[in-house]
Amino acid sequence: MIRRPQALVLLLGIAVASAAAVGALTTTNARPAPGATALHVAAGLSFIGVGVVVWSREPANRTGLLTAAVGLAWFVTDVRYLPSSVAFTVADLVGAPLAYAVLAHLAVAFPSGRLRSRSERAVVVIAYGWLILENLAQDVFWAPADSRCDCVRNLIVVHRDAHLHGIVGNVQQAINVVLAFVVLRIVLDHWSKATPPGRRALAPVFWASGPILLAVIALQAVGAFGSLKGLDAALAYLTPLALMSLPFGFLAGFVHSRLSHLAVGHLVIELGGAPPRGRLRDTLARALGDPSLMVAYWMPDFRAYVDTDGRRVDLPTEQNQRAATFIERAGEPVAALLHDPSLKNDPWLIDAVAAAAGLALENERLHADISAQLKEVRASRARIVEASDAERRRLERDLHDGAQQRLVSLSLALRLAGDQLGNAPEPLVRETLNAAADQLRLAIAELRELASGIHPAILTEAGLGPALQSVAERAPLPVALTVPTDRLPRPVEAAAYFVVCEAVANICKHADAHSATVSARRLDGRLLVEVADDGVGGADPSHGSGLRGLADRVAALNGRIDVVSPPGQGTRIVVTIPCG
Amino acid sequence: MTPTVLIVDDHEDFRAFARRLLEAGGLKVVGEAGDAASALSAAQDLGPQLIVLDIKLPDAEGLDIARQLGETSARPAVVLVSSRDAGDYGARIEQSGARGFIPKAELSAARLLALLGMCL
Repeated sequence: MIRRPQALVLLLGIAVASAAAVGALTTTNARPAPGATALHVAAGLSFIGVGVVVWSREPANRTGLLTAAVGLAWFVTDVRYLPSSVAFTVADLVGAPLAYAVLAHLAVAFPSGRLRSRSERAVVVIAYGWLILENLAQDVFWAPADSRCDCVRNLIVVHRDAHLHGIVGNVQQAINVVLAFVVLRIVLDHWSKATPPGRRALAPVFWASGPILLAVIALQAVGAFGSLKGLDAALAYLTPLALMSLPFGFLAGFVHSRLSHLAVGHLVIELGGAPPRGRLRDTLARALGDPSLMVAYWMPDFRAYVDTDGRRVDLPTEQNQRAATFIERAGEPVAALLHDPSLKNDPWLIDAVAAAAGLALENERLHADISAQLKEVRASRARIVEASDAERRRLERDLHDGAQQRLVSLSLALRLAGDQLGNAPEPLVRETLNAAADQLRLAIAELRELASGIHPAILTEAGLGPALQSVAERAPLPVALTVPTDRLPRPVEAAAYFVVCEAVANICKHADAHSATVSARRLDGRLLVEVADDGVGGADPSHGSGLRGLADRVAALNGRIDVVSPPGQGTRIVVTIPCG
Repeated sequence: MTPTVLIVDDHEDFRAFARRLLEAGGLKVVGEAGDAASALSAAQDLGPQLIVLDIKLPDAEGLDIARQLGETSARPAVVLVSSRDAGDYGARIEQSGARGFIPKAELSAARLLALLGMCL
C-alpha cells in the first residue's frame, strides 16, 4: 500500500518528469533528440517509481527514499529550460552533480540505507560537498557563449575565460573519476565481506556499479577531450540506460524476494507434516535461504537461551555480525532465530517464517527444556556421587591422621612401660599391661578395617588395579584377576571397586562357588568390569539393596550394570562405565 | 657397635615414643625429622645406619624418597612405617627401594633388627 508521503513524492516526480519532457521538447536552445529525452525522463521516473515502491514496503529503510531522491535530483538539471537566469544558474551549478551525489550516497548505504562507518559518512559528505560545489569554480569563468537567447545568463560569472574554464574543468573531471572509484571500492568491499544472503541483498548495486562507472568515466572523458566520434551524442542515450540498471536491479531483487516468500508456503506445508525432531532448523534455514541459521530456545528456569542439546547460546552482539529475531507465543518468549543480518532487509520474510514456525518451535523448545533439565539432573547426580566420594576419602584420612595415630602412639607407650618394668616381680601389672596392649591392637585393627570400608586407602593411593588385587587376596575363594595398570578417573575407580567388593561378598555369601574371576579393562573409551563365578546362579538383582545402590552410583556416571544368573550356571555381573 | 637410627615422622608424639622404645631396645637414635626435606639433610649430615621412614609426610611420600635416602653418604637401610596396613600400599612398598615395612603399632628394636638380619 502506498502511503501519503510516498504518494506525494510519486506525484511530484511525475509532475517534474512531465515538465522536464515538455521543457526539453520545446526549448529553442540546444534541443536534445526526442529519443534521448525519452530515455532521460524514463531514467528519472524509474528511480522515483522503484524508490516509492521500496519506501512503501519498508518505510524505516532509507533506501527507498534515497532511490526516489536520485530520480528527483535527476530532473533538477532540467530547470535550465525555464526562462530565468536564476533557474539556469542553479541548473548548471547543482543539476547533474546532485543526482550523482545522491546516487553515491545510495550505493554506499545500500541495502540498509544506513552508513556503516565514519569513513563511509566522510565519503558521502565529501561527495555531496564536492559535486554541488565543483561547478562553482568553473562557472565563475563561463557564460553560455552559444546562447541564441539573451533572456538567460550565468549569474555568477566573474571573468569570462575559456582557457581557465577548461583547466578547472579538467581537474574537476579527474576528481570525479577518483570519487567514482572510491565509491566502487566501497561497494566491492561490502560485496567481498558479505555472506551469501548478504550478497543476494547487495546484488542490484553490485551489478549496476559496472555500467554506471563506465558511464561516469565516459562522461568525464567527453568533458575533458571533447566529443570523440559522436560519443557525447551516444552518451545521451547510454548514460540513462546505465543508470536505469540500478532501479531495474532493485525490481529484479524485489521479484526474487517475492519468489523467496513462496518458500514460506512450502514451510507451512512441511511443518504441517511434522518434520522429524531436530530437523526444524534445516527446514527454517531453507525457507530463509540462510544456511548459517541457528535456533536458540528460551529456558524460563535458567532465564537463558539454549540449543537443542541444552547448551547455553550467546545472543548476537554488535561485534559478531549476527542478528536475532525473537519469537513469542502468548506473550512468553519461545525461541530466537540467530541469522544473517541481511535478512533484516526483508522483515516480511523473517516475520512470516517466525509466525509459521511458532508452534513447531514451541514443541522443540519443550524438548530442549527437558534435555537441558535432564542434563542438569545427570550432572547433579554425578556431582553428588563425587561429593560423597570426597567425603569418604576425607573421613578415612581424618581417622588415619587422628584417632589411629593416637592409638599407635599409645600402643608404643604401653610397650615401653612393659619394657621399663623389666624383670620387676609384679606379674599382675605385666599381665594387665599385656591385656591392654592386646585390646589396643584389636582396636587399631578394627579402626583400620572401618577406615578401609569407608574408602580404602589403597584405592586412593595406588588405584583400581592394586585395590582389586587386595580384594582378591582377602577373598576366601580363589579369584583369577585381570586389572588395568593405569589410573582411571576417581569416580570410575570408586564405582568399579565397590561393585566388585559387593559382587565378591555376594559370591562368598550366596553363590556356593569354588572359584571366581574378576576382570577390569578399558574398551573403546569405557571401563568394562566383569565378575563371574561357578556357583549356583539364580541370583535376583532386584533383591537386596547392595547392588541396586551401586547401580545408581554407576548410572550417575552414565554407566550400567547387567546381571546374568541362570539357575545352575553361575552368575555374571557386567559393568560398563564411560571413562574418556 | 650400636646401630644408629634416624626417625622420620611428622607426628611429634610418635617420634618421642619411638625414640625411647628403640633406645630401650639398644639402638642409638641420632636424630629426628618431621618432613622429607629435613630428613634428606639429616641423613646426609648424621650418616645413620638405619632410617625409620613414615610413608605419609607433609611434603612428600615416604615411598618416593626411600630410594633417595638410601643413597645418602652412609648408605643407610630404610624401613617404612605406617599406621595403615602394608596391604594398603600393594606393590609400591617393594618398588620403593626400602628394606621393608613395619606397622607403626608393632615397631620395636627387635623387629627392626630382624628385618635387617642384624643382631646386637
